[in-house]
Amino acid sequence: MFGYYSAADVQLPVRRRFLQQTGLGFGSVALASLLHEESRGQDGGGVSGIPSAEAVDPLALRPPHFPGRVRSIIWLFMTGGPSQVDTWDYKPELQARDGQELSGADPKTGFFTTSGKCLASPFKWQQHGESGTWVSDLFPRLSRHVDHMCFLHSMHLRQNNHAPASIELMCGTNRPGLPALGAWMTWGLGSQNSNLPSCVVMHDTRPRGDDQIWSAGFLPKTYQAMALDARRNEAIDNLQRDSRRSELQQRAQLDLLRELNQEYAVGRPTQGDLAARINSFELAYRMQMAAPEAMNLQAETKETHSLYGLDQPECATFGRQCLLARRLVERGVRFVQIFAGKGVGGDGSVNDVPWDCHSDVQTNHRSCGLHTDQPAAALLSDLESRGLLESTLVIWGGEFGRTSDSQGARGRDHNPNGFTIWMAGAGVKGGFHYGATDPFGYKAVEKKVHVNDLHATLLHLLGLDHTQLTWRFNGRDFRLTDVGGQLLSEILV
Amino acid sequence: MSVCLVPVQRFVIPAAAVLWAVLVFAVPVAGAQQTVAQAGPPDPPDPAGVAFFEQHIRPVLVRDCYSCHSQEAAAKGALKASLFLDSAAGIEAGGESGPVIVRGRSADSPLLKALRYDGLEMPPAGKLSDDVVALFAKWIDLGAPDPRSGGVPQVPRREIDVAAGRQWWAFRPLQPTVPPDLQKPIDSFIRAGWLQHGLTPVKPAEKQTLIRRAWLDLTGLPPAPEKVAAFLADSSPDAFAKVVDELLASPAYGERWARHWLDTARFAESGGYEFDGFRPGAWHYRDWVIRSLNEDLPWDQFLRMQLAGDLLEPDSLSGAAASGFLVAGPYPGQITAKTVERIRYDQLDDMLMTIGGSMLGLTLGCVRCHDHKFDPIPQQDYYALAASLARTAHGTRNYDYDPAATEQRMQQHKLRHDELSAVLTKFVGEQLPGRFEAWRKEQLPRLPDSSRWQILEPISFEAERSWLKMQAGGLIVHDGAMVPGATIARRGQRRNVANEERYELKFQTHQKNVQAIRLDMFTESSLPQKGPGLNGDGSFQLGEVLLTSRPLSSSETPTAVPLKVAFAAFADDGQGAEQALDGKPNTAWIVRATARKDNSLILELPQPLAGSEGGVELTLTLQFRDGGIGRLRVSLSTEPNPATWAGSVVDQHGGELRALAGAYPQGLAAAVQLPAARWLASFDSGTAEVFRPVQEHLAKTPRPDFREVYTTVAGGQDVFLLRRGEVDNKQGQAQPGFLQVLWRDSQPAAPRTEPAEHPRVALARWITDLEHGAGPLAARVIVNRVWQHHFGEGLVGTPNDFGVQGEAPSHPELLEYLAGEFVRSGWRLKALHRAILLTDVWQLSHEASAENVAKDPGNRWLWHFRPRRLEAEAIRDALLSVGGSLDLTMYGPSVLDATPRRSVYLRVKRSELLPIMTVFDAPEPTQSIGERSVTTVPTQALTLLNSPIVRQQAEKLARLVRADNSRPLEDAVRDAWQRALSRQPSATEVSRMLSFIHQQASAGGTSSAATEQLALEEFCHVLLCLNEFVYVD
Repeated sequence: MFGYYSAADVQLPVRRRFLQQTGLGFGSVALASLLHEESRGQDGGGVSGIPSAEAVDPLALRPPHFPGRVRSIIWLFMTGGPSQVDTWDYKPELQARDGQELSGADPKTGFFTTSGKCLASPFKWQQHGESGTWVSDLFPRLSRHVDHMCFLHSMHLRQNNHAPASIELMCGTNRPGLPALGAWMTWGLGSQNSNLPSCVVMHDTRPRGDDQIWSAGFLPKTYQAMALDARRNEAIDNLQRDSRRSELQQRAQLDLLRELNQEYAVGRPTQGDLAARINSFELAYRMQMAAPEAMNLQAETKETHSLYGLDQPECATFGRQCLLARRLVERGVRFVQIFAGKGVGGDGSVNDVPWDCHSDVQTNHRSCGLHTDQPAAALLSDLESRGLLESTLVIWGGEFGRTSDSQGARGRDHNPNGFTIWMAGAGVKGGFHYGATDPFGYKAVEKKVHVNDLHATLLHLLGLDHTQLTWRFNGRDFRLTDVGGQLLSEILV
Repeated sequence: MSVCLVPVQRFVIPAAAVLWAVLVFAVPVAGAQQTVAQAGPPDPPDPAGVAFFEQHIRPVLVRDCYSCHSQEAAAKGALKASLFLDSAAGIEAGGESGPVIVRGRSADSPLLKALRYDGLEMPPAGKLSDDVVALFAKWIDLGAPDPRSGGVPQVPRREIDVAAGRQWWAFRPLQPTVPPDLQKPIDSFIRAGWLQHGLTPVKPAEKQTLIRRAWLDLTGLPPAPEKVAAFLADSSPDAFAKVVDELLASPAYGERWARHWLDTARFAESGGYEFDGFRPGAWHYRDWVIRSLNEDLPWDQFLRMQLAGDLLEPDSLSGAAASGFLVAGPYPGQITAKTVERIRYDQLDDMLMTIGGSMLGLTLGCVRCHDHKFDPIPQQDYYALAASLARTAHGTRNYDYDPAATEQRMQQHKLRHDELSAVLTKFVGEQLPGRFEAWRKEQLPRLPDSSRWQILEPISFEAERSWLKMQAGGLIVHDGAMVPGATIARRGQRRNVANEERYELKFQTHQKNVQAIRLDMFTESSLPQKGPGLNGDGSFQLGEVLLTSRPLSSSETPTAVPLKVAFAAFADDGQGAEQALDGKPNTAWIVRATARKDNSLILELPQPLAGSEGGVELTLTLQFRDGGIGRLRVSLSTEPNPATWAGSVVDQHGGELRALAGAYPQGLAAAVQLPAARWLASFDSGTAEVFRPVQEHLAKTPRPDFREVYTTVAGGQDVFLLRRGEVDNKQGQAQPGFLQVLWRDSQPAAPRTEPAEHPRVALARWITDLEHGAGPLAARVIVNRVWQHHFGEGLVGTPNDFGVQGEAPSHPELLEYLAGEFVRSGWRLKALHRAILLTDVWQLSHEASAENVAKDPGNRWLWHFRPRRLEAEAIRDALLSVGGSLDLTMYGPSVLDATPRRSVYLRVKRSELLPIMTVFDAPEPTQSIGERSVTTVPTQALTLLNSPIVRQQAEKLARLVRADNSRPLEDAVRDAWQRALSRQPSATEVSRMLSFIHQQASAGGTSSAATEQLALEEFCHVLLCLNEFVYVD
């Protein structure tokens, strides 16, 4: 049984429930012994060592339900919704019928109104790799990695606008207030590096939906992703010590603080959180050094910089984010999600939804390809050469796809009824194609994959059973997969 | 009720004793479900049909369906929808949503719809090929021959028994409870628990602990040193009661306790989702909660107002602010045709979940899609509640923020006006005739002819949906908009501002033979698109123009003056100015394409206005179709459409005086003396000195202070019962009603139809109805919340769930007693707080004895006071308070965290929650939160160590306790310690702090006054990071 995963046990303020079980987190064990050594022991003798809810470090490592294949996930979120039929889902039928009526076109599919006429992809298509995967010429570099990629061509969800769809894609349903994948992961497995956040989101302009896409929802805020804004210098708030003080002076402050806190804790043996808080100051002190070290891209070679395209203006931002993602994953961060920004270039795209090609798919996607292709490909090569692809899963995809019929003359509207996401790396088959859209790429028809199914599979890869990872909130046991979720066993290695 | 559940007949058998009575199980029996079978199963099955089944159907069932719909699946706990497809009887019996096939009619069979992915999508892993689906259709049309044997497995099916459900402890009427000790009722219940569990209570808390506890608990602020000193010095037996009363009377009480309720109300000031649009008027709800708590508004009224304040007190800002509760939830900023209906049901669901969780401790969200799995709430009850909210949408309305203040300002203004008018009247009586005659003698002969157009100076001007003011030269200028729908008082009447603008301008003239009126409309950069219209595109649509005339000397009713258009500078095609004179308000002079240019309209009077000896009052009414005109001037002429544009106000004044001089050669009659003052003021400085102040004062007439309130407005559509909560699966219109399990009456659980009652008002009454409705539960829920916030945990550990899944109360009789007393005391929270804080149990110390810990480590039986960390708001407020920075200004629009006001006033924008709040576990404001999590993470430590706010407050505290280095360090240390921790440090503590300070001060080499102050600051900073500072015990 996975008693550890019952929400009732870990929901921190509810102490009495917690006390029914005996697990102690790593942090509190360390502190308990620290206290034992240093305590001046006024009246605490007989009662020390009692476990209590807050004593458990909420980020302590927790055993998975079963051994997982994936240690970390990097999700390259193609914000705005790339077109499946212009990227990875080749449809000769669509190419042949440009301008003809698209039978079954549903005017309610997108956000605006579409023409009902097929719009052939303006890009050149070619087969790649041993798998013979068709890829459009948007991705000259990523296409070299197709034999690592596992394509889900039959993705679909319910929402047809950016924020609700992004919320559905990350939280399992369209309602805000529910925890996102990263938060569920962190809660389920704990942190692999106590000096760094376990779950990191990177963005340039904030994507539509903001925090709601990486929210911890009703889970404790501890499990919320830390958002790194590419436009800011200081990645993590409050990491810098007061410049008027030396490190030694701060250390002396911390020593005094620890002493006083320990004395306070002695008289309050039932409050394990007091010990955890003492520990948290030490962790914070270490984070002040560890986080800047992890974020320091100067430690990388010039070759690496140019591999990721840091020397090219159009992909420098995304390149930095991808490189940072690799550094974080190397250091044990479990979940990194990059919301692709706009890059540079007068392609008419909107900052927070770069792939949103309502008016001209060719110009828009060409530019988005330029911004993302090289860094994403570099990430795959880099992870592979460092052996990290063995334990890391890279996901590429947006919040929905696009219509196969045109919006205006050359654009495509939102389409949540069929789109492609690919994954590469640990645990999934390479050069593999799962599910399919209809001959026009308009709707998923074969082996349809809902977000819940994707999440069930991702959790499985991490060693978590999606039906067991539940949290009781307001009387209901919630899961990431709501009431759905079919494991896609076929795609697993 | 027109809605009903899926009509499946079931035999109801009593529940097993271990299960609670609500979960009554029914065992479906084959053959009993007449709705399934058109005809009984063929008997025996036809061999050809069986062959078809064996060849085409069985393999598919085995491969694609058995994993979720078979006895084997049931054995593994993987059975879905209580549906068995592994026997003929199972298919016959159907699943939890009813029958799956209709023999012979594949088109009507839900199974086939599911296979076609029409609504339900089965099998979920992927649609079967069209050929296979066609085979299933054929099989059903053949009568679904099926040779498989095996009875229907004994799958228990839930049937909700509402009558039995009423027996659940939380759903019963309040139970009369006699405390074991009437002198100390609450303590006596607690003591019984100690005795029963062999616990020895610890000793009472020390006074200095107690006062800090009371301050933080009731006000969320640490006590000032002098408050602590006064309490320590007060040895009277009611010393603590006095502190409690003082704190309950303090406005800080409402600010503290409002925050608890705002959590349960998922309060935020933005819509979330796509653009997270800010709701500038949402803060009124927060202020209303604070005010209501400070005024100790009875809780039943507090609840009713939140559900129907806009209907119960329709004309008040507080009514609208209160019902802001219903619409405080998230709502998408972009809606498409595809999503609009689901979004509306999501919104209703948000309201119901919040009402359920916050007011009733019930989980209603699940009932949207199916009967409640645990509690006796059928789906129809959910939709009955939803139907009560059917006509409730979100929007804004404008109210005078403080009508009493407006009234007072109006009265003051009138007083001054009366004074000035009296001076003018006296002047007119005593001096005006003489001055007029002097003017007649000295200036009239030299007065140039008035220009052919005279600009009229308005005597009064009023607009329907805006304010106007007069500028020099007779220009009438837009001076701020009212919002249509706002309630305002005008001429003693409350009315709602209309959508259509209407100007009413009054002029006086003594001239005769008026033959033309001219309206000039001007563009200006401050107007939308330069104007001259006030619509967003600078346009206007003038529906009707009406001119009336009335002799000033009589009270005759005004008579209409016929007009015709002589000239209009610009008009859109086919929308000429004649349409403003055609008596049809739905046609108009439209200036849209032709907007953004100065415009002019000349109206001729086919019959020149005869005028009157004593002058006439002209009223010009401009009725617009939407917005008005930003800058406007009116002129008259005694010629028909003279060919000139020149003119001025003084021209009119001169013209009027000339007319008066002609009419009254022997001196002005008394009746025209006062009007003459207006005209004479342009020529006679003595008159101007008296007349202008009256005019200037009138221009300063006070206005109501309108504020936009985000609240409930009429809107919405009929609500339908949705099968599985899907909008494409409507099962009939739902009628307003209540939860049957919380209804005790022979009548159905529905609003009264005689007299007709608004369903939302009925809902509000039902929620607090002690006799027939949910009142007892509502009382238990709030009493438990109050207990929870005083002790850290409620008597019921799941404050938002009093249903079967929730925890049982630790002290059920105490809960009943408290709820009963609470209701008897008039639902007053303050009395309840007082009763609890004056108990022995609340005043216990935090100490822990080994024996007690061993027996009750979680303190369920309350043998000591459990220390707990302050909430995010209290931590920030305490920091600001100790640093001496806290600004205690109450109420108003929210602020960002750089403003040192109490945290309850911080902006709550759903997509940009403030890190200083969330880092200390301020919750996500999307659903009702009954209990915050308390986490311990390094980011909190980083915040305390390095954030600007903590550094600043440490610096300020250091300066507060030692403004200059003449004060001994030891005194400063003691002072800072007292301020931060509400107690004096021990001698050891003092000497350790001093040595720390000395050591830090000399760390860089030599110590100086500056390094000493910096070191004192570092010590203060340590104080603010201490667990003792962020904990209360």
